[in-house]
Amino acid sequence: MNRWTGKAGSLEEWLQHIQQREDIMTNVTHWRTIEPRKAQTVPLPPSLHPALRGALQARGISEIYTHQAGSFQAVREGRHVVTVTPTASGKTLCYNLPVLQSLLDNEEGRALYLFPTKALAQDQVTELQKLADIMEVDIKTHTYDGDTPPTVRTAIRNAGHIVVTNPDMLHSAILPHHTKWVKLFENLKYIVIDEVHAYRGVFGSHVANVLRRLKRISKFYGSNPQFICASATIDNPKEHAERLIGESVALIDNNGAPMGEKHFVFYNPPVVNKQLGIRRSSVLETQKLAGLLLKQGVQTIVFARSRVRVELLLTYLQDMIKDKLDAKTIRGYRGGYLPKLRREIEHGLRTGEIRGVVSTNALELGIDIGQLQACVLNGYPGTVASTWQQSGRAGRRQESSVTFMVASSNPLDQYMIQNPDFFFNRPPERALIHPDNLLILIDHVKCAAYELPFEAGEKFGSESLEDMMEFLVEEKVLHKAGGRWYWMEQSFPAHNISLRSAAQENFVIIDISNGSRVLGEVDRFSAPTLIHEEAIYIHEGVQYQVEKLDYPEKKAYVREVNVDYYTDANMAVELKVLHVDKEREAGELVRQYGEVTVNAKATIFKKIKLRSHENIGSGPIHLPEEELHTSGYWFSFSEEAAARKSKNEMQYALLGIANVLVHIAPLYLMCDPFDIRVVPQVKAVHTQRPTIYFYDRYPGGIGLSERLFDVHDMLIEQAKSVILSCTCQSGCPACVGPIEEVGLLGKQQALDLLNEAGGAQ
Amino acid sequence: MSGLRDRMNRLRGSGGSEQAVENADVAARVMDEQAAIVQEIEEDIEQLSPKWKELGVGLQTNETGQFLLRKIVYPLHHRHGTHTLAELELVADKLGAFHPGQTQGAMANRIMFLDLETTGLGVGAGNVPFMVGLAYQTDEGIIVEQAVIRHPAEERAMIAYLSEKLSDYAYLATYNGKTFDWPVMQNRFILNGFNRKMWQPLHLDFLHPARSIWRNTLISCKLSHVEEERLGITRHDDVPGSLAPQLYFEFLATGEPMTLEGVFRHNETDMLSLVSLAIRFGHLLGDMEGATFESPDLPEEMVRTGLWLEKMGNYKLPDVLFEGALRSESPAPAALLMLAARDKKAGNWGRAVVLWQKVIIHSSQAYGSFAIEACTELAMYYEHKLKDFKTALQYAREALEHMRSHPLQRRDAKKSAELEALRKRIARLTGKAERHGLL
Repeated sequence: MNRWTGKAGSLEEWLQHIQQREDIMTNVTHWRTIEPRKAQTVPLPPSLHPALRGALQARGISEIYTHQAGSFQAVREGRHVVTVTPTASGKTLCYNLPVLQSLLDNEEGRALYLFPTKALAQDQVTELQKLADIMEVDIKTHTYDGDTPPTVRTAIRNAGHIVVTNPDMLHSAILPHHTKWVKLFENLKYIVIDEVHAYRGVFGSHVANVLRRLKRISKFYGSNPQFICASATIDNPKEHAERLIGESVALIDNNGAPMGEKHFVFYNPPVVNKQLGIRRSSVLETQKLAGLLLKQGVQTIVFARSRVRVELLLTYLQDMIKDKLDAKTIRGYRGGYLPKLRREIEHGLRTGEIRGVVSTNALELGIDIGQLQACVLNGYPGTVASTWQQSGRAGRRQESSVTFMVASSNPLDQYMIQNPDFFFNRPPERALIHPDNLLILIDHVKCAAYELPFEAGEKFGSESLEDMMEFLVEEKVLHKAGGRWYWMEQSFPAHNISLRSAAQENFVIIDISNGSRVLGEVDRFSAPTLIHEEAIYIHEGVQYQVEKLDYPEKKAYVREVNVDYYTDANMAVELKVLHVDKEREAGELVRQYGEVTVNAKATIFKKIKLRSHENIGSGPIHLPEEELHTSGYWFSFSEEAAARKSKNEMQYALLGIANVLVHIAPLYLMCDPFDIRVVPQVKAVHTQRPTIYFYDRYPGGIGLSERLFDVHDMLIEQAKSVILSCTCQSGCPACVGPIEEVGLLGKQQALDLLNEAGGAQ
Repeated sequence: MSGLRDRMNRLRGSGGSEQAVENADVAARVMDEQAAIVQEIEEDIEQLSPKWKELGVGLQTNETGQFLLRKIVYPLHHRHGTHTLAELELVADKLGAFHPGQTQGAMANRIMFLDLETTGLGVGAGNVPFMVGLAYQTDEGIIVEQAVIRHPAEERAMIAYLSEKLSDYAYLATYNGKTFDWPVMQNRFILNGFNRKMWQPLHLDFLHPARSIWRNTLISCKLSHVEEERLGITRHDDVPGSLAPQLYFEFLATGEPMTLEGVFRHNETDMLSLVSLAIRFGHLLGDMEGATFESPDLPEEMVRTGLWLEKMGNYKLPDVLFEGALRSESPAPAALLMLAARDKKAGNWGRAVVLWQKVIIHSSQAYGSFAIEACTELAMYYEHKLKDFKTALQYAREALEHMRSHPLQRRDAKKSAELEALRKRIARLTGKAERHGLL
């Protein structure tokens, strides 16, 4: 430590200094040092085209990493490939090498690159162009997206060797107009799909169907392209890629990229109210740690889970360093920033002019910002996979790096922070998709029929083609003639189908306080409780009252207000089991998986005074019932178990368990916590017993409940351990919920009941 | 099968089991009807029903299959509104101006006219032309052919026929065909396995000149409106083109030929109107030699027509039109300004000055903005061309006066920028005038 400036000479020295600081170390629950890893390389493959060899050598690359060589080899053998690599391990060469090699051999060839976002596509084009320039060959790489000017579109369609786009553009612009892309489809050799782990859940299920359409059109033009996929570290990269593209793939996971020493520090903010289990704000603790790093001059990235938190942390940090550094050296980064500003920030990070950045997970994907030295996570990012991705932003090939994970008070964070082994030892989550979800499938069958008539004997998904065709003939969108089914409708089906919206129709919230502007969106199933008329809707800390809910048009009109209450709506939920697909019995517990319908109707709302939480009024809600047909998993306790508790006790116990489960279910799923719902029932209609239901919050289900059914025992074990390890006395928001909700004995009741529910004995 | 429908209904959250039963009934009925229609059509293929013959439709068979064809011969003396079809022969070569430098002369019998009726909008792969209207000239007269498919599986045979037919012609004449009809046809060639580059005609898309000439003087440049206002054509009981898809779907569902009667008629009129438009533009490009119709006397249309002709490389008729516009009893300031701009660019300052002065005189209070522009132009002319700073200053002040008398116009950013520019001009001119001892 330099005694004049107070600055450490290196990150190592600074870390040693931190380890002496009592005020910080008391909150550190775990400090893991990950050993540096040496590069594993092989000489450039002998079959590599001389021009490509020359270009690599010109860039100082005389050997490549083992995984790059593996991918090159497998692609040359004609196999579909998925490579799995952590952040910053030379992933792009895994697909650029074989693609460029093939284009050098045959300039008529074409490749299609898919990235989940436009920003990633931009980076890629620059990279490819650089290589082509060094080789002095005319390989044209273009992005084709919503920003592409109409004047250059024709040139790209005819002459672009590599077209870089996103699944949405493929779905709504390229495939329906495939006749304009004859050159591309006739010569399509490779389809590169980067960040395949991003294609999961509803979005991934849609994308899988878009790829089915892409394969169908390629076949029409006589091409049979090879897929090259790249994924971040997830539990099931091979299985996921195979489901996504519908082909078997070779898995390349022998990562040979080097890594410097890495410190991973778990930090739990101190408890300030033991009885209520309340900890100091994770935002303030994040600010403290990030501030220490920035003052040391360490280039740091801070990840926060919401846009509001990003802005909040940014303000605090800029304020804190204002006498030492220019405020411009610490920047925010999130969706909603204009592309030009984003490019500027990315550039500033690469050059080092920008010393700190606060971001949402927008920077988690492979946008090129160089490698930083420190990372502070405000809250557990939600999945093990994301945590490694975000932490990977800090980590250079030679020097040390550090990641601090600051836990929030939510149960999942608390579980992770207190069970570091769980985090370090278990594989990251599985990416789940369900391309044969009937609603999604039928949507894409329509698009596919628009693109090309279906012929008898074709296959599209697992559903019988004849059945789907007949259904669409009855719906008067297809016409059968001469053994084929033709699209016969005026509309353009892709326009009405969005790949990204979870529930098909969201409600738009329009602020009419001053002119009219769109505030945000609420999904169909949340609308009745959040934006019924007279509801107080809170957005970025500002209160708005819903003046009118136009239910058929899916619009809510709100006006800014300043009142001392909030509203809380009661929802009557009715759950019906339609069909049981799987069943297991263990001891006093039965668990099942199958199809369910959920009927939800908002009944009344209460006005609740802020702070005192007094009920100061109520009103009825007149809205139609919402019905959701989906897949579900549930487990129920025996009648004996039910008999051991009063109805009230059982209620509290179930509620407590549900509160824990809803937070830890995402441990096994790569999903948003809102994608899955938990409903406890003291006496369920279907089982006549105390039951806890889970269901996928998307019509038809997307495979989440099914996965939970499979991991039931682990789930229950985890729930127990969360409750046991929580330091609160009788329930808090970090475990079973506050005592106002689950009663004074809720924690114990929940634990008792869980002991009967299975898990490791 | 009904299983899938039930599941879809449940997922969509629409209706309970009663609805499902009803749907299944409807579905069963639809399937029965469909089967009956398919059978009817199959019989039809053996022997075309008399109703088709009533419509003048015959069966066309080639190696690829079958489709229907309606053929009407219009003798050359046939009059369609203002023009007689024989006029096409007189003026066709003038249409060559659309493709300067082409050796292929535009002779009447080298032009293929084309207009599609399709199942939807846009140029996506799923938009099918169920009726393809053609018109071309032979010794017999103008032949209108309408190819129709009874179901989409007949398309390939129709496309095979068309690909043969079209390749004999050098020119393709359409209305908005560059963005619609032709790309749709190319889609169909590709989808049916034909070479899309097999025929590469010289395209005459009449929408573009129609827009150049009639943009402001007609409320719409739709073919049906242009023909009524300018080509003397009146349609009776016309079925609008936008209803065509609906009618075709109805035909597919019922198999009843008469459903398409209105579409045949609509498309037939479109074909003749296309020929009339070709005649009209041909006459204009031929300096109205031998033309018998009255040329338009709206000043704006005269100016716009002249400007379009100049763009096409004609310089004789424009002069006549421009002079006509200048002499007009009721000159429209907008047209005069357009012409003045053209004169300014061409260095024809004498007439430009007359035009600007005329604009000032005819610019009523309500159209003050024209006067502002004319005054400003004159101020520039006197300042830069004649170096007469005093007169220039007078015009600049007059412009400011006009601007001030319309306070409402000063609101937006563009207007205030103009005002600012004018103030600067006045200041500069005042300075120059003072230096020259004029003030």
